[in-house]
Amino acid sequence: MKKKLDLISAPTGLQPGNYVKEAYVDPREPSTPKADVEVTQNGKAWQLTLSWDCPDPVTDVSDDTHRFIDSVAFMAPGTPDAVWITMGEEGKPVEAILWRADREAPLRVVAEGWGTVERNEPPEGWTVTSAWDKGRWTVTFNIAEWPALEAHQQLAAAVWRGAARNRAGLKSVSPGWFPIEA
Amino acid sequence: MAREKYATNVKRQVAMVLDLNKCLGCQTCTIACKKMWNTDTGSGYAYWNNVETMPGKGYPANWQTTGGIDAEGKIKRGEIPTLDTGYGRAWTFDHQEVFASSGNEPSQKIWIQPKEKNVKHGANWDEDEGVGTYPEDNHYFYLPRICNHCEEPACLHACPRGAIVKNEENGIVMVNQDRCHGYRFCVEACPYKKVYFDPKRQVANKCIFCAPRVEEGVAPACARQCPGRLRYVGFMDDEDGPIWKLVKKWGVAVPLHPEYGIGPNVFYVPPMSPPQLDMHGVPLDEPRIPMAFLEQLFGPAVKDAMNILLEERERKKAGESSELMDLLIAYDWNENFKLDDGTREVFS
Ligand code: SF4
Repeated sequence: MKKKLDLISAPTGLQPGNYVKEAYVDPREPSTPKADVEVTQNGKAWQLTLSWDCPDPVTDVSDDTHRFIDSVAFMAPGTPDAVWITMGEEGKPVEAILWRADREAPLRVVAEGWGTVERNEPPEGWTVTSAWDKGRWTVTFNIAEWPALEAHQQLAAAVWRGAARNRAGLKSVSPGWFPIEA
Repeated sequence: MAREKYATNVKRQVAMVLDLNKCLGCQTCTIACKKMWNTDTGSGYAYWNNVETMPGKGYPANWQTTGGIDAEGKIKRGEIPTLDTGYGRAWTFDHQEVFASSGNEPSQKIWIQPKEKNVKHGANWDEDEGVGTYPEDNHYFYLPRICNHCEEPACLHACPRGAIVKNEENGIVMVNQDRCHGYRFCVEACPYKKVYFDPKRQVANKCIFCAPRVEEGVAPACARQCPGRLRYVGFMDDEDGPIWKLVKKWGVAVPLHPEYGIGPNVFYVPPMSPPQLDMHGVPLDEPRIPMAFLEQLFGPAVKDAMNILLEERERKKAGESSELMDLLIAYDWNENFKLDDGTREVFS
């Protein structure tokens, strides 16, 4: 399956805590407006690729206090009615795979609502490769097995542009779940 | 939209008072804290306790101009200071080179100096610069700063991870680094700029008011090591303790930037200063440190605090007794600290 995604900015009004809600205004344009997604399945294995324009990649943030890393994640619902924009809710979890430009391995994420995100090292057989070329990132996750995706056949995507100080809920996201069948 | 208020469930609040009339700017407090808690390589630049010269840019540079709340009580968007222009990178030195050069002619000696070139700021960058014209009105004073362990901590409410907690037993505000994902909304939101970020470990860190010591009834290292004996530590509600006496009973200790509206629990006895001189060297009625500047830092309550201090000082000068002056002089250092009833802090 190949798909062109128009991304939106995650609304700041929904963010947990009072600071982002009150101190930030929603940007007119998402930091990353468009992305291309490609999903292939081979038996139980998945290959998920996202590519997007990024003129100013940030791959190392270890030497200063104000820099944020480029990241991307694919998320799958853990139950049929898990809500995408809040990253699930109690009893209705979501699962995700996260790439950060400063890490070799991806991170596995589970959440039951904003603020509950747990990041862990990935299961065996979850890997990621990334390349930045001519102003564009291409990130490919290879996932040996992902039962939540297998069961619900839906994904959502999020892109954090480090140069725009994206992090946490300040991100560009797909406007809802999208089915992985064309 | 006005800022939401938050209820806290803190049973007792620990607090500190610092008498700015006695600070020597020696930085013993800074080093006591740094060596005890904060030696990770990614935090080389970060001083949970710092002492800055006022008036001055402070540390991080211009911290008073970022964050806080506006006139309508709405939270302002803060900034994350950078290492180069905000905090200043930790300097490195080539001690070997200096040792090897000893014994040469003075002109050939290599003196100790930071390896870094084009340094733009540092933790004690504008030390002793101050403002004014000698001898008429030149002045400066030292302002030691730690986290204020606020009633409504801006950092705590800014964290989407719930990684910052205010301890119910003593009101100390701490970062749970296991939950921290390095988003730095806390760094942005704190108007005192007292949350730091370790870019190597990608987690926030801050003053813990020496919580493990406080739990044992022992004052924080910055207070205990202070040769100026200017720091007082205790619980806000302890009417036998130094905090209640200085803040509530005598009203001579006032918080830094009360207008930020988040209820700081560190208080300052404002600095008295000698008079300005006219062009003939005759003393004027105006103190060298202008009241307007102190009001900028400590709000309007500093005026009354100053008047009480001056009155009590006169009483003491006249040979009368003054509980306030005796406490501020720190005749008995044990009076400076009162945490656990059973603990005598200083043995004489
Ligand atoms: S140790 Fe005391 S006198 Fe020295 S700088 Fe710190 S607060 Fe001031």
